[in-house]
Amino acid sequence: MARRKFATLKSFLNYVGVEGDRTIFTWVSASEGDRWAQVIKGATEKIKALGPANKMVKHIG
Amino acid sequence: MENIETKLREEAKRLLLEKKAEVIIGYEKGTLPLTATPCFITKPEEADKLVWNNLCTQNLAKFVHDLITQHKNSQKRVKPEDRKRKVIGVVARGCTTRSMIIHLQERQYEREDVCIIGVPCDGYVDGKGLKVKIGGADIIDGAIEGGQIQMKTSDGDKTVALKEVLADCCATCRFNNPIISDVMIGSAAPPMNPDAEYEEVNAFEAKSMEERWAYFTREMDKCMRCNACRQACPSCYCPTCFVEQSQPQWVGIGEDQTDTQVFQFMRLYHMVGRCVDCGSCVAVCPMGVDLRKFLKKLDKDCFEFFGNRAGSSMEDMPPLGKFDEHHDKGDFVYNP
Ligand code: SF4
Ligand code: SF4
Ligand code: SF4
Repeated sequence: MARRKFATLKSFLNYVGVEGDRTIFTWVSASEGDRWAQVIKGATEKIKALGPANKMVKHIG
Repeated sequence: MENIETKLREEAKRLLLEKKAEVIIGYEKGTLPLTATPCFITKPEEADKLVWNNLCTQNLAKFVHDLITQHKNSQKRVKPEDRKRKVIGVVARGCTTRSMIIHLQERQYEREDVCIIGVPCDGYVDGKGLKVKIGGADIIDGAIEGGQIQMKTSDGDKTVALKEVLADCCATCRFNNPIISDVMIGSAAPPMNPDAEYEEVNAFEAKSMEERWAYFTREMDKCMRCNACRQACPSCYCPTCFVEQSQPQWVGIGEDQTDTQVFQFMRLYHMVGRCVDCGSCVAVCPMGVDLRKFLKKLDKDCFEFFGNRAGSSMEDMPPLGKFDEHHDKGDFVYNP
């Protein structure tokens, strides 16, 4: 269910030209502390490499 | 279509007389030349107003949902044992029945609440496309005969082949005949050209990310947030749409460019496995926003990822309400 939503959302974001790679989805169990740290580290690196998001961003003021 | 119209009127009359339906939702001649408009028939003698032709644009499943919801709300204060069912009759072609299947899958009403008069369909005219084809002239009078549209216009007499101005969704429609029905009028219509249905999407996918974003931006810049697309869509039936929610407010109202993009993106995305490509949203859009380019991608993904075509079978569950461990693609998962 949720996984189908993420699969289609990521693909649709890419299609309209927003970097869908910012959508990161995976499973981590509550007992997997190491894996959690590793996933978050990887995700942070990925997002840092992409730089700031500048599409669909609302500038207020 | 003459013959079908005669049978349709007879059938509608019979259903009303026999009290098999309390109202028949169909199409009547529109007030402008070469148009048809939804109508609600409650008296047998009014059934002669019904028409069925290539000008019947809107997906009537929208009104089925509206009427049933209205009726259900009116029954809320009635004692359960005194509640009555109100059967809604509807003239339905392929996409209308698909939308109703989606309603049924989503448990909006029961099969017994609707009486479906199925009609074969060979597509409807894209009104905006026709206008472009005749150089923007005003249509004064017109008729469709033998696959040709004959018109008297402000720029003289004109003839256009029906095939050339069919709506995009119709030209590549896979399900032009009703999937479910209680009575079927006439015999099945010949198939359209479904093999070409994803051509536009494939071409768009081949463009670069920046080109795609530029196109999305340009199209959505046309949108004036009138919400007509949502109002016309049978799958958009939420009592309170996210657009109007204020706690939390998902998206700003007004003309901010980003707000409009977010509105569009979210409404479009709500159509995964729920858009039947009836083109009603495209037809009502006053600004000619190319919504189909995006809706069709959702349809393609839904078929490629999950093997599902929205509303194509009564046995299906909503595709986002389940998953298939063995066949679903897993390549979107990060670090599995
Ligand atoms: S999104 Fe448009 S094409 Fe799709 S079901 Fe709704 S009205 Fe029809
Ligand atoms: S856009 Fe979404 S929230 Fe709004 S009516 Fe349609 S399905 Fe419901
Ligand atoms: S009908 Fe067209 S202009 Fe109106 S909200 Fe929808 S896309 Fe925008």
